[in-house]
Amino acid sequence: MTAIVPQAIEFPTAFTRARAGDHDAFAELIEQHEAMVYSLAWNFFGDRARAEEIAQDVFLQLYRHLDDLDSEAHVLFWLRQVTTRRCIDQTRRSRFKVVSLDDAGDVPSKDHAADPLLDRRLKALVEQLPEVQRAVVTLRYQEDLDPSEICRIVGMPVNTVKSHLHRALQSLRRKLENLR
Amino acid sequence: MSLEHDLKHALRRESPPTGFASRVLRRIEREGLPSHAGRGVRQGRRRWLRAAAASLTLTALLGGWAAHGIHERRQAEGERAREQVLLALRIAGEKVRYAQHEVRDISR
Repeated sequence: MTAIVPQAIEFPTAFTRARAGDHDAFAELIEQHEAMVYSLAWNFFGDRARAEEIAQDVFLQLYRHLDDLDSEAHVLFWLRQVTTRRCIDQTRRSRFKVVSLDDAGDVPSKDHAADPLLDRRLKALVEQLPEVQRAVVTLRYQEDLDPSEICRIVGMPVNTVKSHLHRALQSLRRKLENLR
Repeated sequence: MSLEHDLKHALRRESPPTGFASRVLRRIEREGLPSHAGRGVRQGRRRWLRAAAASLTLTALLGGWAAHGIHERRQAEGERAREQVLLALRIAGEKVRYAQHEVRDISR
């Protein structure tokens, strides 16, 4: 008796179609990653207009570099790396902070916070951290990445990342205590 | 709740305002970035030109190397021929000297 085993049909991914010049597929690729890229910048600067501008710039850069990337996983890694480095570079270049938490409630969140005030306080405290600590904390808690993954994105040894994370958490704890 | 848990909640992902992808695509058009399909063709053409240039260089190198070999072989053959002519002249000279010597002996 012969059994008919259905063969898995592989459809081209949005990434492969976008690389072939399909604009709709590139839009699909943006939609897959826009929340990640936008939130990295939003959590870094706390400024929605700036986050939108950075996110747009990152996707334009992605469009220019699509041919240099070879898989969906590579795209995800590249986007995290480029967004994080762009945020750090912008902070270093401008050396001024724009904190506009007033608009924090403008876009409704899908998952309502148990304590919205604590969320706003924490975000404000994260935005006051030095840029590398801010990047490490955002990648750790927004993207749920381990220090071994973060170190590849920020281009630092894993122990340096761990120490930045440790110092950032200590500083946040101390400041939170002072606020209470 | 722990600080880490609170951070995960505070820093959770949020979507950008509606229409973000369209705004990016509009910027791509406005800034006149070439489409990837076109770029693929141009890159293919560039790759082909690079391959052609490499094969031309290789052909020129091999040709030069072969010409140099032929030149060296001809030079060696010339050298051998010159040595043979010199040897023949030396032999002929010795024979002439011997004949003169014989003639002198007979005439005495």
